[in-house]
Amino acid sequence: MGSLLGTLSIATQALNVDQGALEVTSNNIANANTPGYSREQAILESAPTVTEGNIAYGQGVTLAHVQGIRDQVVELGVQQGLQQQGQINSYLDSMSQLQSLFNEAQGAGLQTPLSNFFNSLQSLSTDPTNLSLRQAVISAGQTLASVFNQASAGLAGIQSQLNQTIPQAVGQVNQLTQQIAQINGQIQSAQSSGANPNQLIDQRNQLVEQLSGLVGVNSTDAGDGTVTLTTANGALLVAGRQSYTLTTGKNASGNVDVFSQGADITSSLSGGSLGGDIQARDQGVASAQSNLDSLAAGLISAVNAQQTAGYDLNGNPGLNFFKPLSGNSSAGAAAAMSINLTDPSQIAASSSSTAQGDNSNALALANIENQTIVSGQTATEYYSNFVAGIGTEVQQATNQQTAQNLVVQQMQNQKASISGVSLDEESANLIQYQTAYAAAARVVNVISQLAQMAITLGQGG
Amino acid sequence: MRVVPSQMYSDLLANLQADRQNVNLAVEQASSGKSIANLSDNPLAAGQLVLSNAQIADLDQFSYSISTVQGSLNTADSALNSVVGSLTQAGGTLSSTELQALGQQVDQVLQQVVGLANTTYQGNYVFAGTAVKQQPYNSSGVYAGNSSVNSVEVGEGQTVSLGLSGSAIFGAPSAAGQPDLTFQYLSNLSSDIKAGDYNAITADITNVQSSLNNVIAQRSSYGDILQQLNSDSTNLSQQKLTLQQYQTNLIGVDEAQVATNLTQSQTTLEAAIAAASRVSQDSLINYLK
Repeated sequence: MGSLLGTLSIATQALNVDQGALEVTSNNIANANTPGYSREQAILESAPTVTEGNIAYGQGVTLAHVQGIRDQVVELGVQQGLQQQGQINSYLDSMSQLQSLFNEAQGAGLQTPLSNFFNSLQSLSTDPTNLSLRQAVISAGQTLASVFNQASAGLAGIQSQLNQTIPQAVGQVNQLTQQIAQINGQIQSAQSSGANPNQLIDQRNQLVEQLSGLVGVNSTDAGDGTVTLTTANGALLVAGRQSYTLTTGKNASGNVDVFSQGADITSSLSGGSLGGDIQARDQGVASAQSNLDSLAAGLISAVNAQQTAGYDLNGNPGLNFFKPLSGNSSAGAAAAMSINLTDPSQIAASSSSTAQGDNSNALALANIENQTIVSGQTATEYYSNFVAGIGTEVQQATNQQTAQNLVVQQMQNQKASISGVSLDEESANLIQYQTAYAAAARVVNVISQLAQMAITLGQGG
Repeated sequence: MRVVPSQMYSDLLANLQADRQNVNLAVEQASSGKSIANLSDNPLAAGQLVLSNAQIADLDQFSYSISTVQGSLNTADSALNSVVGSLTQAGGTLSSTELQALGQQVDQVLQQVVGLANTTYQGNYVFAGTAVKQQPYNSSGVYAGNSSVNSVEVGEGQTVSLGLSGSAIFGAPSAAGQPDLTFQYLSNLSSDIKAGDYNAITADITNVQSSLNNVIAQRSSYGDILQQLNSDSTNLSQQKLTLQQYQTNLIGVDEAQVATNLTQSQTTLEAAIAAASRVSQDSLINYLK
C-alpha cells in the first residue's frame, strides 16, 4: 500500500528530474547560437510500477536520458551539398580567371592581333616592295606570337596556382581526418561507459562538414558510435580511431598528384575544393591550353607553308615565318610561338623569283585568314568557338553554383529546423518544467503537513 | 516546420546578397552601356562579337587598301593622259615641209612617251607589270617588264587588278626583242619622214593613230577601276555600319530596360533591408515573469 514516505520520495525525485530538465533547457538556451549545436531533449519516463496485491502503484518519474535531436539523413544531405558546393566554387574561381584571359567583351584576347596580322599582309599586297609595310608584317607577327605566349603563360599560371593549393588542401584534409578519428575514439569510449556523447557528435559533424568543403567523402555509421569516412572512390580516410593520411607528389608533367596509401587517386577525387581544383587543372584549363596550342600550331604550319612557297624581296625562296613546330604534336605550340624571320625583306610576298613587285604570295598569306586551318575551321571561327565555349562553361558553372547554394541553404535550413534551438520552444519548456517543479514542491509541502499531522496524531488538541 | 532564428538570419542574408547582386548588375550595365562584362554573361554573343570584330577589321583593311592603290592608279592615269597628248602632237606635225625638223620632233615625241612609260610611283615603275624595280622601257621602247598584273583584295573575295602592264597599253611586238608597237610606229614614222618616203608616211600615220586609240581605250579602263574602287569604298562603309549596328544589338544595353531593372532591383533590395530591420527580436522569453 502507499505510504507518505513513498509519496515524498516520488515528489523529491520529480524535483530532481524537473531540475535536470530545466538544466537541459538552460543549456539549449545558452547554445542557441553555437554553430553545429544540436538541441537536446530531456527524455522523461515513468518509473517502474510496484505491484502490491492487485494494485499497481506508479513510482514517479525518472530522467531516462538526454537526447540530442538530429536527423542523420539530413546531415548527410548537408555534407553532400557542401561537397558539391565546394567543388563548384573552386572550379568557378579558376575558370573565371581563365575567362578573363580571353575577355573579348572588354577587348582583351587574340582577335585583334590575329586580324592585325592578316591585315598587315593585305596592306603589303598593295605595295609588295615597300619596306615599311614589310616591317609592319614582321611587327604584327611578333605581336601575335607574344599574345599567344602570354595567353599560354596565363593558363600555365592558373595551373601552377592550383598545384600550390592542392597540397595545402590535402594538408587540411589530413588534419581534419586526424581530429575526426580522435573524436571517433572519444565517442566510442563515452558510449560504452554510458556517458552522453552529444557534444562530441556535434563537434564531429562540424569537422565532417569542414572536410566536405575540401573533398568528397562517403560517411557510414560503423554502429559502435564511430563513423567510417572514405573518398568518393573508396580510399579510406578514417576508420574507427584510425585516420589515413593522403600524400601529394609531382608527376612527370609537373602537376601535383594525390596518393592514398601509395595509390594515385587524383583522377578519381571529386567533390570539395580539392575536387574543383583538380577538375579545373586537369579539365578546364588543360583543355583551353590544348585548344590554344591547336590554334597556334594551325597558324604556324599554314603561314610557314605559304611563306616557303613564295620568294622574298631578293628573289630567294621564302624562309619559315614562324619557328616551326618541334615534332608533330601541337602541345606547347602557343608557348613556343615566335617569329623566325629577322629582316623585313625576307617576307615572301612574290610568287616569282624574278618579279619583286608580284604580290600574289602576300595575298595568299593574307587569305590564310579565310582558310580552314584548324579542325576544319578558320582561325577566327575556331577562336570564336573557343571563346564562346569558355563563356558557356563558366555560365553553366555559375548557374550550377547558384542552384547548389540554394540546395545547401535549404538543407541547412532543414537541419536547423530539426536540430536548431527555438527560444519560443525553450521558453515553453521553461514554463512547463517550472510549473512541474512548483507542483512537486507543493506536493512535498503537503506531505510535510500530512507527516506533521501524523506525528501529532492522538496528542489531542 | 519548426522555424528557428538562425535559419531566418541565414535566409535573410542570402536574399540580401542576391538582391545586391542584381543592383550591381544593373548599375554595371547602365554605366558601361554593355550587356556583357564577361564571356559567361552571354557566350553566344561573345563568340559572334569575335567574328564581327574580325569582319570590321577586314572592312577597315579593304578601305585602306583602296585608298593606297588609288594613289598609284592615279599616277598611271595621268601619265597615260600625257601620252595621249604627245601622240596627238605626233599626228599634228605632219603638214610641215621641213622633213628633218619634223623627224626630230617625232623623235622627241618618242622619247617623251618612253619617259612617260617609265613613270614611277614611290620608287616603283607603274607600267612594268610586277617587275616593278626593273625599268620597263629602254630608249628605243623595248619592253623589259613582265605581263603580270597585281590584284588587290577590296572586299570579301573581291579583287581588283592594279592597272595594266606596259605591253598591254603600248602593244606587244610581233617578235621578242623588238620595241612595243607604239614605239615601233613612232620610230618608223621618224625614219620615213627623214627619208621622204611619203607612201610609208601615210601608213605610219594610220598606225600611230591606231596606237593612240588603243592607249585611249586602255586609259579608260583605269578610269573604270578607279570608279569601281570609289563605289567599293562606299559599300565598305555601308557594310561596316551594318556590322556596328549588329554589334550594338549583340552586346549593347536597352537603356530603358536597364533603367527599369535598376529601379526594380533597388526597390527589392530596400524592401529586403526594411524586412531585415523588422525581424522580430521578440520571443516568448520576453514575457516570462
